[in-house]
Amino acid sequence: MIVLTKTLSQCFVPADLPAAVRAALGKPLRRAAPLTQLALVGALACLPPERRALPTALLWQSTSGPRLETLTLLDEVCSGSAEPMPYDFLATQPAIAAAQIQTFLPGLQTAMHLPLDNEETAHWSLLLSLAVTWLNEGRCAQVLCAQLDHAADAASGHWLALSRTPLENSPACLQLTEGTSSNSLPDTPNFPAHLAEWLARNDSQTLSLHSPVAMRLAVEFARL
Amino acid sequence: MTRPVFIAKTALLCARGTSPATVASALWDGECSAGQRKLGERAFPYFALPLNEADWMRRAEQAIRQIAGQLGPSSPETPLFVASSSFQVGHFEQLGAPFDLPFAAASFSQKISEWMGLSGARYSFSNACTSGFSALDAARSIIATGLIDDAIVLGVELANDSTLAGFATMELLSRTAGRPFDARRDGLVLGEAVAAVHLRAKPATWRIAGLRTGLDGYSTTGPNPDGSRIADVAVDCLNEANLKAADIELIKLQAAGSPGTDLAEANALRSVFGQQMPPLLSLKAALGHTLGASGMAELAALLACLDADKIPATAGFTKVDPEIALFPMVDRSTAHIERALLNLIGFGGGLASLIVERQG
Repeated sequence: MIVLTKTLSQCFVPADLPAAVRAALGKPLRRAAPLTQLALVGALACLPPERRALPTALLWQSTSGPRLETLTLLDEVCSGSAEPMPYDFLATQPAIAAAQIQTFLPGLQTAMHLPLDNEETAHWSLLLSLAVTWLNEGRCAQVLCAQLDHAADAASGHWLALSRTPLENSPACLQLTEGTSSNSLPDTPNFPAHLAEWLARNDSQTLSLHSPVAMRLAVEFARL
Repeated sequence: MTRPVFIAKTALLCARGTSPATVASALWDGECSAGQRKLGERAFPYFALPLNEADWMRRAEQAIRQIAGQLGPSSPETPLFVASSSFQVGHFEQLGAPFDLPFAAASFSQKISEWMGLSGARYSFSNACTSGFSALDAARSIIATGLIDDAIVLGVELANDSTLAGFATMELLSRTAGRPFDARRDGLVLGEAVAAVHLRAKPATWRIAGLRTGLDGYSTTGPNPDGSRIADVAVDCLNEANLKAADIELIKLQAAGSPGTDLAEANALRSVFGQQMPPLLSLKAALGHTLGASGMAELAALLACLDADKIPATAGFTKVDPEIALFPMVDRSTAHIERALLNLIGFGGGLASLIVERQG
C-alpha cells in the first residue's frame, strides 16, 4: 500500500528564505539559489530526521523556474562586457537543487525536475503516478513530490510525501485508478493545499486527482 | 500492470547529419569536424546544426518540423515529453533587453508541440545533461504501467550564448576538441541537436531493458572522482534489466573529454565490469556535447549504428591516460550488438544509465 505521509504548503517573503534555511539547518546554506532553499526547507519539513537516510526520490515541478536568475544571466551575457559570474550561471540550473540538498538528505537517490509550460495547470497527476509506480516497484522507499516557485514578491513550496509503508498518523493511502470520480480536484500548482483542506474536512472517503490532459488513469486518495 | 516498452522510431538532427542513418554513416566515416562559436574575444569549437536560418525561433521551428517529418505520422493525441536544459533562452538573447521572459519556464514546449502537430499531454524536463533520460524514464514508466500506450520523447538544445558563457566562465570548455578518456583531454565541446524517439508498448526492434537515474551531490559541476554513485546507478540498471555485467556488449560512454568526469566514469566502469570490460564508445567528440538533447541524440545515433552493424571508432582518442587506463574503440567494428548500455553524467549531479536490448 502506498501512503501519503505529509502534505505541506509553505509561503515565504523571498528575503526571509535564508532565515528559514538557517532555522531548518542551524546554519546558512551558502551559494544556494532560492529554488534550492525552497527545496531544502520543504524536504526537511516533510521528512523527520529518522527518515532522511531512506532511499528517496524527489520529483518536482516549477512554473517560474529560475526566472529571476535567468534574467540576471541574460543581462550579464547580453549587456555586460565580461563573461557571467559562475554562481550566476549555476543559479539558472534548477537540477543543481537536488545535488545541493543531498548532504542533508543522504537517502536522496534521484531527482527529476519538470518546468511547467503554463501558469494554470500542473503535473501532480504525472508526479504521483510516477511515485506510485516507483514505490510499487521497490525503486525507493519514499518519494517527495513538490511544486516550487519564486518571484520577486513571493516564494512558495507545495509538497506531498509518499511512502511504501504506513506511518503513524498517515492521513491517506493512494492508488492509480481507472475511471472518474465525482469527487475530484483539478491538477493545479497548489493541489496539496486543496488536498489538505479535504483531509481536514473529513467528509467524503475518497478524492481523485485528474489531469487536464488525456491521461487514462487517475490518482485516488482514500482516508486511512 | 507492467509491460515492456519499445523504441519504435527515432529521429535526429545534429551537426553530423539530418537523420539517424546519415549521422550513423558520417560517424562510420570518421567525420568529426566542428565549427566555431564566438563569445566576446574568445572562440570555442562548436557543433552547430546544418541550418542557415538566422532567426532563432524560425530556425527552431525548422529543426522541430524536420524531426516531426522524420518520425512520420502519429496521432495528435500522442503524449509529448520534451527534454532541454536551455529551452528558448537563445530567442530572448536575440530579441535583446528588456527580456520579456514568460512566467512559465517551459512555455517553449507549447510551440514545440504545435510544430510537431501534437495536442495531447505535454511534459517538460530540465535536468541538465540527463534531461533526455529523465524524460525517457517518465514516459516509459507510465507506458509500462498502462497509463498511456505510446509517447514521443524529444530532446532539444539550440545555440545560445548563456550556456556557452556559463560553461566558459567555469573553465569547462576545451579550446580545441573533445578528447574522451584521452590523456590530453581539457574540456567539453558543446553543440546543438534535436532528436526524438517514439516509444510504444507494441513490440519493435529495440526494447528498453533497464533505465535508472541517480544523483551525485559531490559537487555541482562533477561527480565524485571515485565513481561510486555512477557505478550504483549502472548496477541498478543491470538489476532492473535482469542482466549481468558480462551480458553488456557495448557501452556508449558519457565521456566528453572532461578531466574529472571522464575519470569518475572510468572508475565506475572498472568497479562494475572489472576484467570483463565491453567495447567502449564515445560519440561526443563527433556530435558535441548537446546537453539536454544529448540523451536522445546519442540514443538515436547509436541505434542507427547498431541497426547497420556499423560501430564507429571514438573520435578524439589517441593517447591513453594512465589514471583512466581504459581504451575507447579506436577501430570500427561490424559486430552485431544485442545489448548496449548508455551512460549520462550530468552537470548538477544527475546520473543515468540505460540498457537497450535487441528483440527477435
